[in-house]
Amino acid sequence: MLTYVIRRLLHTVLVVFAISLIVFFAIRLTGDPVSVMFGAGEPTREAIEEITKNLGLDKPLYIQYGLFLKGVVTLDFGTSYRSGMPVTDLIFERIGATLALALGGIVVAILIAFPVGIISAVRRGTPIDFFGRIFSLIGISFPNFWLGIMLILVFAVTLKWLPSSGFDGFSSLILPSITLGMILSGILARLVRSSMLEVMNQQYIATAKSKGISSWAVIIKHAFRNALLPTITFLGLQFGSLLGGAVIIEQVFAWPGVGRLIIDAINQRDYPVIQGGVIFLAIIMVVVNLIVDLSYSIIDPRIKTGKGSN
Amino acid sequence: MTVAVKEKSLAQPKKSFWKRFTRFIKKNPAGFIGIFLVSISVGCAIFAPWLTSFDPGKASLVSRLTPPSWSDPTGESTFFLGADQLGRDLFTRILYGARISLMVGFFGVLISLVIGTILGLVSGYFGKWLDDFIMRVADIQLAFPFILFAIVVMSILGTGIWKIIIILGITYWVGFARLIRGQVIALKEQEFIHAAKAIGGTNFTVIRKHILPNVLSSIFVLGTMYIAEFILLEASLTFLGLGVDPTIPSWGGMLADSRNYITTAWWTAVFPGVAVMFTVLGFNLLGDWLRDRFDPNMKM
Amino acid sequence: MKKMFKTRLVAILAILMLVLAACSSEGGKTTTKTEGESKPTSGENPAASRGNEVVVGISSDPQSWDPIDTFLLDWSTVANSVFEGLVERTLDLELKPGLAEKWEYTDNNTIVFTLRQGIQFHNGEPFNAEAVKYTFDRLLGDEGKKGPQYSNYTSIESVEVNDEYTVTMHLSNADPVLLTKLAGYGAVIVPPGYIEEKGDENFNNNPVGTGPFKMTSYKRDQEAVLEKNENYWKEGLPKLDKVTFKIIPEPSTRLAELQTGKIDIMKRVDVAQADTIKGTDFLELKEVGTPTVYALRFDTAKEPMGDVRVRQAINYAINKEEIISTILNGYAKPISTFQSELSFGNNPDLKPYPYDPEKAKELLKEAGVAEGTALDLFIPGTDGNFKEIAQAVSFYLEEVGLKVNINSVDGTTLTSDLIPKGDAGHMYRNGWGGWTLDFDNTAYLMYYEGELWNPSFKDEKVEELLRAQRASVDQTERAAIFKQLTELLYELAPEVNLYQAVDLYGVNKRLKNFQPPNEDRMRLEEVTVE
Repeated sequence: MLTYVIRRLLHTVLVVFAISLIVFFAIRLTGDPVSVMFGAGEPTREAIEEITKNLGLDKPLYIQYGLFLKGVVTLDFGTSYRSGMPVTDLIFERIGATLALALGGIVVAILIAFPVGIISAVRRGTPIDFFGRIFSLIGISFPNFWLGIMLILVFAVTLKWLPSSGFDGFSSLILPSITLGMILSGILARLVRSSMLEVMNQQYIATAKSKGISSWAVIIKHAFRNALLPTITFLGLQFGSLLGGAVIIEQVFAWPGVGRLIIDAINQRDYPVIQGGVIFLAIIMVVVNLIVDLSYSIIDPRIKTGKGSN
Repeated sequence: MTVAVKEKSLAQPKKSFWKRFTRFIKKNPAGFIGIFLVSISVGCAIFAPWLTSFDPGKASLVSRLTPPSWSDPTGESTFFLGADQLGRDLFTRILYGARISLMVGFFGVLISLVIGTILGLVSGYFGKWLDDFIMRVADIQLAFPFILFAIVVMSILGTGIWKIIIILGITYWVGFARLIRGQVIALKEQEFIHAAKAIGGTNFTVIRKHILPNVLSSIFVLGTMYIAEFILLEASLTFLGLGVDPTIPSWGGMLADSRNYITTAWWTAVFPGVAVMFTVLGFNLLGDWLRDRFDPNMKM
Repeated sequence: MKKMFKTRLVAILAILMLVLAACSSEGGKTTTKTEGESKPTSGENPAASRGNEVVVGISSDPQSWDPIDTFLLDWSTVANSVFEGLVERTLDLELKPGLAEKWEYTDNNTIVFTLRQGIQFHNGEPFNAEAVKYTFDRLLGDEGKKGPQYSNYTSIESVEVNDEYTVTMHLSNADPVLLTKLAGYGAVIVPPGYIEEKGDENFNNNPVGTGPFKMTSYKRDQEAVLEKNENYWKEGLPKLDKVTFKIIPEPSTRLAELQTGKIDIMKRVDVAQADTIKGTDFLELKEVGTPTVYALRFDTAKEPMGDVRVRQAINYAINKEEIISTILNGYAKPISTFQSELSFGNNPDLKPYPYDPEKAKELLKEAGVAEGTALDLFIPGTDGNFKEIAQAVSFYLEEVGLKVNINSVDGTTLTSDLIPKGDAGHMYRNGWGGWTLDFDNTAYLMYYEGELWNPSFKDEKVEELLRAQRASVDQTERAAIFKQLTELLYELAPEVNLYQAVDLYGVNKRLKNFQPPNEDRMRLEEVTVE
């Protein structure tokens, strides 16, 4: 076990290193940050050269990369070209909003997916199953920006129940969480349903039922438990990408999350922020994956020999 | 639509088929709807030129944003679902749009399926350092922001519908690879694989003859669901300014570019949305049904 | 039989449900639409409870408030209320004394400024000659050279303190637009004591100036809160107690916020959204001409764009008037050269190329361009409205026998990589608006060989005229040179000049005296609330 953990940690370092290398060189293929800075100004050749020099972008690439890597080791990603602020500060001031949205989305997804998944499994083949599944799929039947805009039009503009944007208290969290949650719930409901079905066909459930034990009690006790593990795995694996992947939802709801920080930085070619942001997310993702893998093999030892041996 | 169903039923001479058909619907209403919706979009894509008399590229600024004929107070509109921002018939654009969306979905999935399956098989079958390597590459792919990846690929390859298909295909191989890898690891331990190896089968033949056939159904299920996802991703790319040439009638492009018209010319935003919804829902239901049928315990 | 009927019923019901789901989602939008239109009867203003405070919705966050760090229009929208320059430019674009009471050119390269007395920065620090000197030393020194503002002020050699309230500015060369430049952006006066004590990084987030409002809180990518400067030097101003700028990138969300009264002013209203605002009784739409102009510029290095007849033909082939009246709904103005009517150097005698497809065909034939020749057009993928224009252009050009391939690409890649490298096809969208409102800035960047955004255009005569106007501070002489230059450029047709942009602002009617700014630099000190 310990060697496994050490090996995986070593891999994690390698992955982060590879990502730093790819990001560093990839963003330098797509235009330069200096001319973007000028906006309404006058980007003369002299001015561009001067700023390029001041930002250290005239140095040979391997030196720039070396400096960057040196920073990564000490978790210092440099200063943003645009805001003049340390990248680490920029990322950390957004973690709250990002976590709030990710958790909100997960809560909504669970609130939709568990009832739908359980009921459709128990009442398999009935109209309830049918409509439940369609309902859980609605969220992944529209592009997320469209869903977000529709929710704003209905709940903010027409009904005036909820604020349409911003990061300002619980009520502002509802619409973005629903948008994100509906996307997750489609897959999650499917997962819950099939995990439930897997157990419900088994002998002991049938026996319990035949003994006259309330079927719901049996279902909750046995089947529900069986659905938890894959759910945790799924959410764990999604969590990393939820942190940075909600870019469009953040854009639509003016949500100040890490995803928007990175996309704005990409649009401005703010190299330090892109590099820092991507590596930050990569570290979180790889670590979460690692934790999921480890906990999986602790909770369910079947994993080592492979799952689904039925 | 109800009429169509009836006609179909009456036109069936063989009672046994009809019986089987109704039993199927009864047992799998969701699967039936899935097949039905997918067939409609495929039908629209194939028969688009025969279903409409308009040209999807024919523009006329005079008829810009004409409302649908049935909701036009002046009664002058000849466009069944209205006209778009350049005066093109929206119904025609949506019909032809099915071609683009299905093309993105199908070929995008094909690319990621091929890459993902090969890497998944290799990773799961050979294990050890090869497995580690491929899975870590998958981690890298997942951690790299999709948008940045798209911008970089486009600045190297240029833009266009095929570039988008390639980008989607390259990004989403990970899902296939992980799924297949898990199943291969499970299969590898089973008797018949050991037996096949024992009688001297090479790795290649074991994979081809014994492993691949056993994972095909999962590939198929995931592929169906990814088609749905890719259709939506194309729209997201346009939203972020990385979409296709606006003359190409893609549903995603129509949706993203008409979102500001929602309150002033609702039909430009609503009908492509409905088209996307039905198609994506169709593929998801189809995928669900396939999974129930082939591999009910698949975790995804 | 009964069983079969039941099955069929289920199937039919299921299909009906789906259709209903679709219709109800569509119905939702219809109600939204009629809701917007029927609001006039309800007549309640949802923003009324906010009292003497105003909220403005803007599209992007400049990220740093330090004047030397940025050149973004959204910076000026907010910072124009916080900072002031020696010279002030009014909303009617007149230059007036600002922090300087008066100034005098002692010779072509020397200006003496007499400063207003008794003004304080928001932190209580006095405004004086030292502050002016510090501002320009900082702008032209090491700190300034890290940002884009510095290059705009290179004609200033040094600033000298004469006494507490007079300074002399020495110029290294004549700069015809210097006074305009002193009214904004990099030249606004900053507090020396505050920056020295708290550092540059703090200044990015906590700007201090002399303006009518002081920034009391800033949450990056969320909002900047400005409160009334009680000690403002203009008597009785500002009238509002508080102004909050909210950053809302998505236009449809911004509109929703305006419709629900969460914001009072919406910047960057999309043409497609104009009617919704007009249809809401408590909102009004304000339009204002901007210095920003849009053109399809040709890369003359790519055949057949090197031939002036081809460039002219394309100018004749495109119906710009129709584009303006339909796609832009009239919210744009025609232009004849690559500058707006606000720009010094604009030549009102020149009329845009008329729409004449026959003439275009003739010219193309003369130039030997084969029927069906394909041209690449590059546009940024984020601008939905321009995508429509690009498609219209492609239809017009098809009429004269040219085929256009539209390449919609990432906007930043287009401006910072493809255009400078000459990789943006035969023609590409270029939008430009010099805030100095002088053709010098634009023309130099676009037509002088070797400049960043001029990949290939070269004309000796044009360059000669450009150098000549830059050497002079005599505005009549410069006007004459520009007249010659514009006529020449009109003939050479290095681009298709499409239109001058009109900015749309959605404003809550409870606001009085709000005048939309031409170039994003919003002024709110005179605004009152009903």
